[in-house]
Amino acid sequence: MDSTIILQTTLNGLMIGGVYALVAVGLTLIFGVMKIVNFAQGEFVMLGMYVSWALATFVGIGPYPGLLIVAVIMFVGGWLTFKLLIIRIIGKSDEAFILLTLGLSIFLQNITLLAFGADYLTVTTTVKDAAIRFGGLAISLPRLIAFGVALVMVAALTLFLNRTDTGRAMRATAESREVATLLGIDPVSCFAVAFGVGTVMAGIAGVLLTPMFYVYPGVGTLFNTTAFIVVVLGGMGSLTGALVGGLLIGIVEALGGTFVSLDLSQLFAFLIFLAVLFVRPSGLFGRSA
Amino acid sequence: MNRTGRIFLAALAGAAVLLFPVVTTTPYYIHTVLMVFLFATMGLGWNLIGGYGAQLSLGHSTFFAIGAYSAVLLMVNYEISPLVGGIVGMVLACGAAVVIGLPCFRLRGPYFCLATIAAGEIARILFLHFQEFTGGANGVPLPFHGDDILTLQFSSKAPYYYLALGLLVAVFVLVRWMEKAKIGRYLAAIREDQDAAESLGVRTDRVKLIAYVLSAAITAAAGVLYAFTVGYIDPDGVASLNLSIEIAVVVIVGGIGTLWGPVLGATVVVLLTELTNMYLGSLRSGASLVLYGLLLIVVVVARPKGLISLFDRAPAASLPKQVGTRVHVA
Repeated sequence: MDSTIILQTTLNGLMIGGVYALVAVGLTLIFGVMKIVNFAQGEFVMLGMYVSWALATFVGIGPYPGLLIVAVIMFVGGWLTFKLLIIRIIGKSDEAFILLTLGLSIFLQNITLLAFGADYLTVTTTVKDAAIRFGGLAISLPRLIAFGVALVMVAALTLFLNRTDTGRAMRATAESREVATLLGIDPVSCFAVAFGVGTVMAGIAGVLLTPMFYVYPGVGTLFNTTAFIVVVLGGMGSLTGALVGGLLIGIVEALGGTFVSLDLSQLFAFLIFLAVLFVRPSGLFGRSA
Repeated sequence: MNRTGRIFLAALAGAAVLLFPVVTTTPYYIHTVLMVFLFATMGLGWNLIGGYGAQLSLGHSTFFAIGAYSAVLLMVNYEISPLVGGIVGMVLACGAAVVIGLPCFRLRGPYFCLATIAAGEIARILFLHFQEFTGGANGVPLPFHGDDILTLQFSSKAPYYYLALGLLVAVFVLVRWMEKAKIGRYLAAIREDQDAAESLGVRTDRVKLIAYVLSAAITAAAGVLYAFTVGYIDPDGVASLNLSIEIAVVVIVGGIGTLWGPVLGATVVVLLTELTNMYLGSLRSGASLVLYGLLLIVVVVARPKGLISLFDRAPAASLPKQVGTRVHVA
């Protein structure tokens, strides 16, 4: 087998893995702080893509310059979702959260379908087809940017959680809701921030994907399942785990898709996922319960 | 309402259901009510593990697909009657339930749910991949050979309607019996507190597995009937995550862990989606699913015990936070 092909495939997987990591980081943050699984995370990626597309099409602001605007819109959206819906079922069962976010996911996907139709939309940027070449390998520029921004976002989030008061309060809430309350922390406002920030991560991932993916209502489902796999692989609630897990799954999917069979590429990810669940449910970086 | 009034209403409803295919000749209407029956059947089956046992499975379409593919492939390739092929499908689905259930029941809460999703997706990918055998994404069409009960092929929708009704009634009676039997009480104990049940000597893994296997067999039977009613199957139709979700949603909307919940839920969900498709479908696709998503959100937030709780005779006085601390015996 040609080693250049293996290297190139690994590189491609690594780059897309950065985006997986970004989606998963949002999901794992929400899980870590609130102990809930958000089934609508993929739909927030999709909404990020649509906002980015709308900015480019109607206002003329491209995906990269519009990153901050999308982030703000997504934070407000996530925060509102929390205040309107999620807050109503705090203290109820895991199942209630799964079902509520599942309903939200179906709703968001189809309201988008109703509003924009099923057409595949594209955003053209100047960097779309640009690539960096070295030693027989090539990295497309949008993928490299996505990878780089994803890493920066994960680093920024880690800093936020470790160095700011809000971040520390969120970590305390993640540790123990009861103790955090005793320390004078309002867990519900921590939940709101966690959900909002988790939504922003998904939205930014959406922006980074717009130059290389079609924008359509069902695109989020691709990322929903992958994000779960990544989060469980890395350990639910672990940021480092989500980052490493995202990169790993990206590489596994790329290698499996190229060297075994394209239609089986997701199979490997699912098999790894089940293996981790059964053998080490706390994941690579999670603390065992 | 007094007893006579209720019996009268029940008789009226029964007569309406029985005579419906005689009164209307529009195949679409008959098909719609038939789908209500199939989803009610699957909901009753799902409820065994998802409701009574409180193990949220989002992978039940796998069993539906195994039933459908077994019966169709045995008939198309080997001319084996679906009456036999259907049983083969149900047995295979039970086998799959054991293989999936044994490891998955060691997981709790969201982990169990995610594992069933993964298992279901793996099954879908395999159905897509083994093309020589399953026809891949193109699916398998069922050539029509004329009316025959042995091949489960009829030119009219009415026989399928009565078959689906018969299956629903049979499953309903079975589940009603199970609710009161030992297994029903064990499942209720697991739902309330798995560790407590275990310490009282309930072999929780085994009880959950039995409920899961039975629920797989019921789902497979519905899959067989669906395949022959529609005359065509493909992985995205019968093995999809969406189908798994819809089976669960039917029960949640109707009333999780109740006998009539799945029946009510199937009626509401199927009729709602079909009616919106009929009146708004021409406008733009997606309208019915928007309502479907909204319905799920509203039920979870405002009516966590499902629409069936609207019919509760005595409104439950302020419930403790952990719903139902007592063990339901009946």
